[in-house]
Amino acid sequence: MPTAVSSTEGTVAAARRAVADVGHLLRFRAAHGRKGLTAAAGLTFLALTVTIAVLPAFLPGAGDDTGGARDLLVVLPTALAGFVLLAVVSASASGGGRELLARDPSAIFPISPTTDHLGALLLAPLNIAWMLQAWALLGVTSYAVGAAALLPAQVFLVLWLATGTAFAQVLAWSLEGVRRVPHGISVVRMLTVAVFGVALGLQVSNNLVRFFDQIPTRELVVSMAFGFSTRWAVTVAVTTVALVLLVALGAVPAHIAAHRTPRDELKVESGHHEARVTATTVLGAMVRTDRASVWRAVPMRRGVMVLALGPAFVALLGGLQWETMTILPGLVASGGALLYGVNAWCLDGRGALWRESLPVAPATVFDARAYVLGEFLLTASFLTVLVAGLRAGMPDGSELTALLATMVVVVVQVVGASMRWSFQRPYAVDFRSSRATPAPPAMMVAYSSRLALSTTMTGVLFSLLATADSPLVAPLLAVPLLGWSVARLLRVRTAWSDPFQRARVVTAVAVA
Amino acid sequence: MSPTSPPLVDVRGLHVRFGEVEAVAGVDLTAYAGQSTALLGRNGAGKSTTMRVLAGVVPPTAGTVLVAGHDVHQHPLRVKQAIGYCPDVGGLVPRATPWEHIQLSARLRRMPAWEDRARDLLERFELGDVAHRVTAGFSHGMGRRLSVLLAALHEPGVLLLDEPFDGVDPIGVEATLDVVSDARARGACVLVSTHLRELAVEACSTVSVLRGGARVATMASSEMLGEEGARAYRGLLD
Repeated sequence: MPTAVSSTEGTVAAARRAVADVGHLLRFRAAHGRKGLTAAAGLTFLALTVTIAVLPAFLPGAGDDTGGARDLLVVLPTALAGFVLLAVVSASASGGGRELLARDPSAIFPISPTTDHLGALLLAPLNIAWMLQAWALLGVTSYAVGAAALLPAQVFLVLWLATGTAFAQVLAWSLEGVRRVPHGISVVRMLTVAVFGVALGLQVSNNLVRFFDQIPTRELVVSMAFGFSTRWAVTVAVTTVALVLLVALGAVPAHIAAHRTPRDELKVESGHHEARVTATTVLGAMVRTDRASVWRAVPMRRGVMVLALGPAFVALLGGLQWETMTILPGLVASGGALLYGVNAWCLDGRGALWRESLPVAPATVFDARAYVLGEFLLTASFLTVLVAGLRAGMPDGSELTALLATMVVVVVQVVGASMRWSFQRPYAVDFRSSRATPAPPAMMVAYSSRLALSTTMTGVLFSLLATADSPLVAPLLAVPLLGWSVARLLRVRTAWSDPFQRARVVTAVAVA
Repeated sequence: MSPTSPPLVDVRGLHVRFGEVEAVAGVDLTAYAGQSTALLGRNGAGKSTTMRVLAGVVPPTAGTVLVAGHDVHQHPLRVKQAIGYCPDVGGLVPRATPWEHIQLSARLRRMPAWEDRARDLLERFELGDVAHRVTAGFSHGMGRRLSVLLAALHEPGVLLLDEPFDGVDPIGVEATLDVVSDARARGACVLVSTHLRELAVEACSTVSVLRGGARVATMASSEMLGEEGARAYRGLLD
């Protein structure tokens, strides 16, 4: 029985084998997951998606030639392009996309880069940014075209989401290939700065709107928005062909990247850090170790930069005002928690057993972990708001207090939820790979949805308070919200002091 | 130090259950100051779980476990202050350097002047050159050597080494044997869990064999020597 891809195997046979292997890996993963939970998450996701895609088309004003529906139709071309841009950023930040099977366990199997590429494509939608964008597009399209043109429009849109994701994957693998050559990391950084520089230049010179008007996605919207027609059929056919070609093309840069050494990961693994003065307190010593585990991990470093600066630049280009900026901290904090916070105990990896044998109170260990997570999320949120607010002028008292209150409330909210989930469902994760995620895909979807819902609601609530007459209203409302989140956090802290529960968590993250 | 003094490790009727699986099913074990005891047995015999219980990492499901006079269930923190533990898997925080591991351990144990001893141990285990390099890139053997070093750093009263020789080169093995010998000489109680009979015999004075989560024999390590010892050991495993 062959155990590896033969060098004489033809391209078609290799592609077939790669596709078949994706099926094998999916079944392997499914066998190890919690079937009930995965099925429930899948059904919820499907039900939510169908509702978002259909319901707005039957609301009053949907599909009208004037008013809100018309306005949404006008911004749809930009939204289609924005989705692709976000997919590119997301796939690039995760080093080519997520893995069907983590690096260490997959090392013993003959998994080809094509299989890896196809797996990353399948997992791409299981990401909070992808999902939110896709849902927003489905909802906007539904309302903009109305019931009459709903089916053709949504058929095309789903196709566009797939094609955009495949395109992003091609670009992400290519960037990963570049990142892995000498000085490649600097080249990618310079490229990123150049892209943002051009965007800022367009904005400063008041050419951004004109640029958006010239995006070719406008033609696509014209094809999709007016029902079944020859033009629609041709567009769908061409997009389908593009999708197939892009999926196949992605395998090429995936192979190239796979044959090059991941330099930033190696740099971290061989990194030297000079000795510092011993921490003066026990908590300080624990915090220092946890900080090192977070900030020296490639997925966290890359992820937090994208997370903090991505929404900030979008807000900057879109001229977001202070009163609506309260939506940003929740988005950033949720994304930050999804980098590692939802499985915070896995930071120690196999060192968890040794750390648990150290003479330190469990509460101190918990405090340090929660503090470092909070600090990580607050830093990212603060950076986002700082950059996003560059063009928004000076905030008034109510706007400032509402924004600060939002930041504190959502960070404590997210830390509380993350520490609870970390305690309930620990997983062993190797954060050496930039493609690592802290939990299996189905759990990531569940965590993403819950975090997005709770933090967006908080953000919307405080955006209303930003227009209040008194700057004291937001802090006053923040107090009970904070009290609730802190109480939940303390409950987990108490549970953590149970040695049986702690042993369950520690052995789960250390002994995979 | 003699077996007439109270034992530093006193395990009676230890049971550890993980859901349906009974990892340890009634282990009794005593170990004394100045004595080194090897825990031998096949994979899954319950050696590592017993060591985790002694280290205060996993609480016992049933039974009494006293380490340095402290009940692991009642006073886990005191137990952790008394022991030095080298876990069987990894045992290192991936993105921290050896020096940072040492610094954390020294800080939590309130060690006064630890730097010279740390440097000396790093040299003995040939880790001086990589003292400030993150451990994620370490080989398996390097990781094992650092884990033994961390267990021995604070000269604990009870030294627990779980698979310390696994994948370690001869220099590392020699350094580990020296650590065990030094610990015995200063009156510490040493427990070494391994499946390498020859090294267990070389490192320890007493051998306890575990099978199916229970202790099946305890004898002087000399009885495990040579071909005859190998036959006796095999007989206990089957």
